[in-house]
Amino acid sequence: MNTIILKHTLPKVFAQVADLQSEVWNHEVTFEKDKLYLVEANSGTGKSSLCSYIFGYRKDYEGQILFDGTDIARFSTRQWVDIRKKSLSLLWQELRLFPELTALENVLIKNKLTNHQTLNQIDEWFELLGIADRKQAKIGRMSFGQQQRVALIRALCQPFDFIFVDEPISHLDDTNSKIVGDLLVSEAKRQGAGVIVTSIGKHIELNYDKVLKL
Amino acid sequence: MNLVWKLLRQHISIPQFAGFFFANLVGMTIILLGMQFYIDTQAIYETEDTFMKADYLIINKKISSMTTLTGKSSAFTLPEVQDLEGQEFVERIGLFTSSAYDVNASFRLDQTTSFSTEMFFESVPDEFVDVKSDDWRYEQGSREVPIILPRNYLDLYNFGYAQSRNMPKLSEGILSAISLNIVLSGGGMRDEYEGRIVGFSTRLNTILVPQVFMDWANEYYAGSKTKTPTRLIVEVNNPTDERITTYLQDNNYETDKDKLDASKQTFVLRIIVAIVMAVGLVITILAFYILMLSVYLLVEKNSTKLENLLLIGYSPAKVSKPYQLLTLMLNVLVLIIAFVAMTAVRNVYLEMFETFFPDFEAPRVLHTYILGIGLLFIVSVLNIFAIKSKVMSIWKRKD
Repeated sequence: MNTIILKHTLPKVFAQVADLQSEVWNHEVTFEKDKLYLVEANSGTGKSSLCSYIFGYRKDYEGQILFDGTDIARFSTRQWVDIRKKSLSLLWQELRLFPELTALENVLIKNKLTNHQTLNQIDEWFELLGIADRKQAKIGRMSFGQQQRVALIRALCQPFDFIFVDEPISHLDDTNSKIVGDLLVSEAKRQGAGVIVTSIGKHIELNYDKVLKL
Repeated sequence: MNLVWKLLRQHISIPQFAGFFFANLVGMTIILLGMQFYIDTQAIYETEDTFMKADYLIINKKISSMTTLTGKSSAFTLPEVQDLEGQEFVERIGLFTSSAYDVNASFRLDQTTSFSTEMFFESVPDEFVDVKSDDWRYEQGSREVPIILPRNYLDLYNFGYAQSRNMPKLSEGILSAISLNIVLSGGGMRDEYEGRIVGFSTRLNTILVPQVFMDWANEYYAGSKTKTPTRLIVEVNNPTDERITTYLQDNNYETDKDKLDASKQTFVLRIIVAIVMAVGLVITILAFYILMLSVYLLVEKNSTKLENLLLIGYSPAKVSKPYQLLTLMLNVLVLIIAFVAMTAVRNVYLEMFETFFPDFEAPRVLHTYILGIGLLFIVSVLNIFAIKSKVMSIWKRKD
């Protein structure tokens, strides 16, 4: 997948809003591979909705979303499964980890599906993000900041053309934010993938190609 | 352990699945047992008469006190036979030939017990006797005569005589191995023969020998003094034809009612078995319902996990698989235990059957297996489909 185009996309709940001030909603926006984007938003402007639409999780929008020119509304179940496994990675704001599993298991449940990363690589990332000692801890017993880092590792355990990270550092200190940013960019560069970071304030300091106001 | 299973087994309710398991086991066992019992009892009716086709009727004149008093003959006259032959429902007619000489038969059961009796022979044309031709052959001059006996004789011995005297019960097989000493006398001659029992009949209440032997013996011992037949064997194209009953009534004839009785019994039995199986089926359907409710509840409770699995790239098919396998395994387990239970119960009643019917050969259980596996297949397909569609509703975010 090379481009993601939003063509006059608009959440249905915003259809009645008269003076919508947004550079994304109801405009034509193109995300390209190999580029860094920052989508800045205020609360309630539909940041998580945008991620859900692009990930095929929700369909309550008007207009179109195109992957390489094809309207995603027409994708079959099989195509979506394929896209979520091979082309598109998403770090959800609410993380969507499994509290019953340990941190490592949460990563492995994804990696076993894709067989994308080696166990060594995963270990290294746990080490790098400073949560190596929490690998065997149940997710339910970890802080949100720690969970965010586990979710990031999971998001990297698949091939992707685009990676969406929804407020990835909301609960991290500056040092860890920097590590997360570097890891994200280096993995994306390695795969030639596009990165779309969303934020409602605090955001990773990166060399963005484009900053959009939602 | 498989991580997906580790996630999805959360909230599995053991009591619910145990409830399903036992309910389904009871239902399945009842269905299978009903089916097998029906096949087994059917076999009893069917094994009774191996050598007379169903569409043969044996016809005789009614014997009332009037015929006895007036001395009116119970034999069929030639015009009567011709009239019957002319009826549309008749395919062909065979006359019974009875022996015109004296017959005495004896056999030895062991060192101390032997039986001896005066008796008679009858014969019908060979084409009415459905026995392998080798067994039913008489070579002129041979001392060995094939004989068919009424089953009543055997029953009389087994359930009456042997029971009261504490003697061993005899099966057809044993009796066929014993040879009868037969003495024929007439016209100043007296010869010994060896009788070989080739079969038993419920419907022919007579002692049957081959037609060739009968013709020869009548000629030899009685100078061809053949008697007019008192019974006819009639092949009809449809035994249930009402015109047969009417014709028999009009002419004051009788036919063997055994067959009719047997079919009545089979009918009643069939209804009873059908009712029992229907009860089993209802229980199975209810069990299926319990299982579906449990699985739905489970999917509902685990819907967040299922949704997250779908969102990290698991396909609906992959996510459904653990639950599908779970129900499939439960169904297979139920079927296997139901087969075992059925076999256990069957062994008990087969033992009873064998006491009452020494010749009873248990039919195969193949049909019941096919039924069981067929039910398993249908139920499992429904389960698998229902689980998949439930997961798909999560995929589509339909509640």
